[in-house]
Amino acid sequence: MALRELVNKIVPIKEDFSIKSLLGFKKTPLNVLVSFMIVGLILLLVWGIAQYLMHGHHAYNVSREHPWGLLISGYIFFVGTSTGLCIIASLGHVFGIKEFNHIGKRTTLLAIITLLPGFIIILSEIGHPVTMMIYNILTPGITSAIWWMGTLYGLVLTFIILEFGFALRGDHKWAVRFGIGGLIADVAAFTTLGSVFAYLVARPIANGPFIPLYFLLTAVVAGAFFMFMIYGFKHKLNFPKEVEVTLIKLAKILGLLLVVTMFFEWWRMITAIYGGMPERADTMMKIVGSSSFWIEMLFAWAIPFVIILVSKGKAIKALFFAAIPALISIFLMRNDMVHYAQMAPMQMLKKTEYQLAPTWIEYFPSPVEWAIAVGALGVCFLLYYVAEKAFDLDEDEHH
Amino acid sequence: MARYGMALDYKNCINCKACETACKEENGILMGADKHRIWVGTGEIEGEYPLLDLTSNVFHPSQCQHCDDAPCEEVCPTQATYTDENGIVRVNIDQCILCSYCMNACPYDARYVDDRTMTVDKCNFCAETRLARGETTTACQATCPTKVRIFGDLDDPNSEISEVLRTREHYSLKAHLGTKPKLFYLT
Repeated sequence: MALRELVNKIVPIKEDFSIKSLLGFKKTPLNVLVSFMIVGLILLLVWGIAQYLMHGHHAYNVSREHPWGLLISGYIFFVGTSTGLCIIASLGHVFGIKEFNHIGKRTTLLAIITLLPGFIIILSEIGHPVTMMIYNILTPGITSAIWWMGTLYGLVLTFIILEFGFALRGDHKWAVRFGIGGLIADVAAFTTLGSVFAYLVARPIANGPFIPLYFLLTAVVAGAFFMFMIYGFKHKLNFPKEVEVTLIKLAKILGLLLVVTMFFEWWRMITAIYGGMPERADTMMKIVGSSSFWIEMLFAWAIPFVIILVSKGKAIKALFFAAIPALISIFLMRNDMVHYAQMAPMQMLKKTEYQLAPTWIEYFPSPVEWAIAVGALGVCFLLYYVAEKAFDLDEDEHH
Repeated sequence: MARYGMALDYKNCINCKACETACKEENGILMGADKHRIWVGTGEIEGEYPLLDLTSNVFHPSQCQHCDDAPCEEVCPTQATYTDENGIVRVNIDQCILCSYCMNACPYDARYVDDRTMTVDKCNFCAETRLARGETTTACQATCPTKVRIFGDLDDPNSEISEVLRTREHYSLKAHLGTKPKLFYLT
C-alpha cells in the first residue's frame, strides 16, 4: 500500500489497478490469443538477448561488408514511430488543433512505449553498451551523428516521460512545456538518426540530405498508422464520435503526407538513376528491381493513399485494416533502407578478395536478430496494456 | 612527431602475399578471410584469347589510407578512433563500443571486427609493434621482396617517401571524397 501511495503522489494511478486487475481480463478467444502472443514475443526477445549476451555479434549475420543489420532497422522503426507519435501528440496541446486534444495523453504514452523497445534493440546491437554510456560522457565525439542521436534520444525520453507525468497529474502548463521540449528534441533526434546515413560520403546512395527529411516524413506516417491500429483495437472499430472526428482529420493529414512521400520516392529514384553515377544509379536499379521496394510502395503508401483519396479520409475502418500491412511494410522499408546503404560492394581494388569476386552484398538476418527485433514488439504491447490498466489515458474535458 | 605515410609502387607487386602474412604475424591478426588489415586486390584477365587485356591483370596492394581528414574518426561517437601524434589513424580499444559506424563510414573498407576484443581493428602502421620498438619500417614493407612499399615521414623532406613523391607521379584512392589519404600509388 505504501508503494501505491508513493506512486500516487507522483502520478495518479487507477484505484482498481493491481496484479489481479492485470490478469483479470475477459478470457475471450481474441484476448487469450493476444496475451499468448505478448508472452511469446517477450520470450522470443529474452531468448534473443540471452544469445547476444553469450555470443555477442557472432549471433548476428552482420559482416565486415554489411556491419549494420536488422537491429539497426528495428531500432529505426521503433524510434521513428515514436517520433511520429510525439508529433501527432503535439498537434493538440502544442499546435492548438483542438480535435487532437483528447488523444494527447494516450499518444504521448504510445510515443514512450515505442521508444523503449527501440532502446532495447539498440542496446543489443551496440557491442559494448556499458562502455558507450561511460565514454559518451568522458570523451564525447561531437562530430559524430551517433553521439548526437544518442544524447538527443536521452533528452527525448526524459521530456516525454515528464510530459506524460504532468498530463496525468492534470498539470497542463508543464505538460505543454515538456511537450514542446520533447517535440523539438524528438524531431532533432530522428533527423539526426537520418543524418547517420546521410553523412556517409562512402555510400553515394545514402549520402545527401534526402534521408533525414525522408525519416521525418515517414515518421509521422508511421505514427499515424500506429494510431489507426491502436484506436481500431481499442474501440473494436466502433469509434465514438469524438474519436471519429480526430481520426478523419488524421487521415487527411496522412493523405497529404503520403502523397508527399510518394513524390519523395519518385524523385529520389529518378535523380539517382539519371546520369548513371556508379554506386548510386546501379544501386537504385537494384532497389527498384527488388520485390520489397514494391511491397513498400503498394502497402505503405499507395493503398492507404487511395483509401483516403476515394473516401475523402472518412474510411477510417478501412484505414485500420490498411494500417497493419502498412506498418509491416514500413518495418521492411526501414530494413531495406539500411541494407541498400551497404549493398554496393566497396571495390577498393579488391578486384578479387581472397578469390571472392565482389558482387552485391547479400544479407539476411539471423534468427537471433529476428527474435530481438520482432520480440521487442511484445514489450511495446505489454507496456501499453499495463499503462491502460494503470492510468487514465483519456483526456479530462477541462483541458 | 612525424606525419607517416606510405607510397606503393604497385606495379612491382607480384601478389606473393608476404605482406599480408607479415602483417598477421607481426600484429597478431586472427586467421580468416575477413580478418585482415591489408590485402592485395587481384584483377582477373579480361577478354578472350588471343585478345587478352593484359593490363587488367594487375595487383593492387591496399589498406587503411590513414586519411588526414578521416571519416572513420569523425563519425566515432566516443573518440575511440583518433589520429596520433605521428598522423597515424588508430583505435583505442578501451573506448570502442562496436557501433560499427566507422566500418560503414570508411570509403576504403579498411576496418574489421577483432573477435578477441570485439572492437574494430585496422592498420596502424605497426605503431604498437615495430614503431613502438623504435624500428622505422612496417612489417609489410620490410618483407616485400619487390620493394613495393615505401614508408616514412611526409614532413621530412629528406625521407625516401618525400623524395619519391617529389619525383614520381602518383595518385590517391577516392581523392574526390576529400579524405586526404596518406597512401600514394606510384604510376
